[in-house]
Amino acid sequence: MSRNANKTYHRRMMITMTIYVMTVMLALPAARSAVDWPVKALLALAPVLPLIYVVWLMAQRVLHSDELEQRMHLIALGVAAAIVSVFSLVGGFLAAAKALPPETATILLVWVSPALMICYSAAQWWIGRRYGVQAFCEDDEAFPLYLRLLVAAALMACVGIWIYFKSADEFGVGLICGMAAGLAVGGGIAGIRRWRQSKRADR
Amino acid sequence: MNNKVRELRGEHGWSQGDLAEKLDVSRQTVNAIETGKYDPSLPLAFRIAKLFRLSIESIFQPGKD
Repeated sequence: MSRNANKTYHRRMMITMTIYVMTVMLALPAARSAVDWPVKALLALAPVLPLIYVVWLMAQRVLHSDELEQRMHLIALGVAAAIVSVFSLVGGFLAAAKALPPETATILLVWVSPALMICYSAAQWWIGRRYGVQAFCEDDEAFPLYLRLLVAAALMACVGIWIYFKSADEFGVGLICGMAAGLAVGGGIAGIRRWRQSKRADR
Repeated sequence: MNNKVRELRGEHGWSQGDLAEKLDVSRQTVNAIETGKYDPSLPLAFRIAKLFRLSIESIFQPGKD
């Protein structure tokens, strides 16, 4: 995949995942309070649309990759599917035994796809090391990875504050703030890595 | 598998990016082939051989078992 196509893919993926998370956080509480069934169903299914686009983006990426990249994508997808299926099985069995509250079991189900994306990215980075390929080395100079993660963290934090004042949904606020903190930590690590790489290049 | 891709690329004065463009693969794939971390498929090996106007066996040799 060319450098420009890679940049476009990452930008689109980032925007779509942000839209997805925001849709989950905003549409699901609204769906719970909706009275009419069609409105309830439409609001509940709204987050599926960005995720379908993500699947299409990923398929396009694999199709336009060369043979080594395709191999890495497919191994990463296999590893991610194995990890997430084991965890979803654990969650499923706990829910079937009623060891988890029904609400938690439903939320676990919603997070299967995002968990798959996160595991896929992590597995790709891990497999890339084997082939001497740095999955995130082709950083966008205009909008580098650390800055993207920090912007996403700031957006998440804004959504968390908004939910806190709008509905006082403690679980939602905790989840969003946890994700914002995770993204901020990721941004910090990416920033330090970038700074160390630039220092090394200067020597 | 051992190969002479880096040597041949150097003889032609091409960068990894140049070779990647000619082979329609990524620069990282060229790097992985040159460092012996990835063995190319037969069609890609044929493309490399055709580009350098050599036979496959003169570019790629089996490594020690």
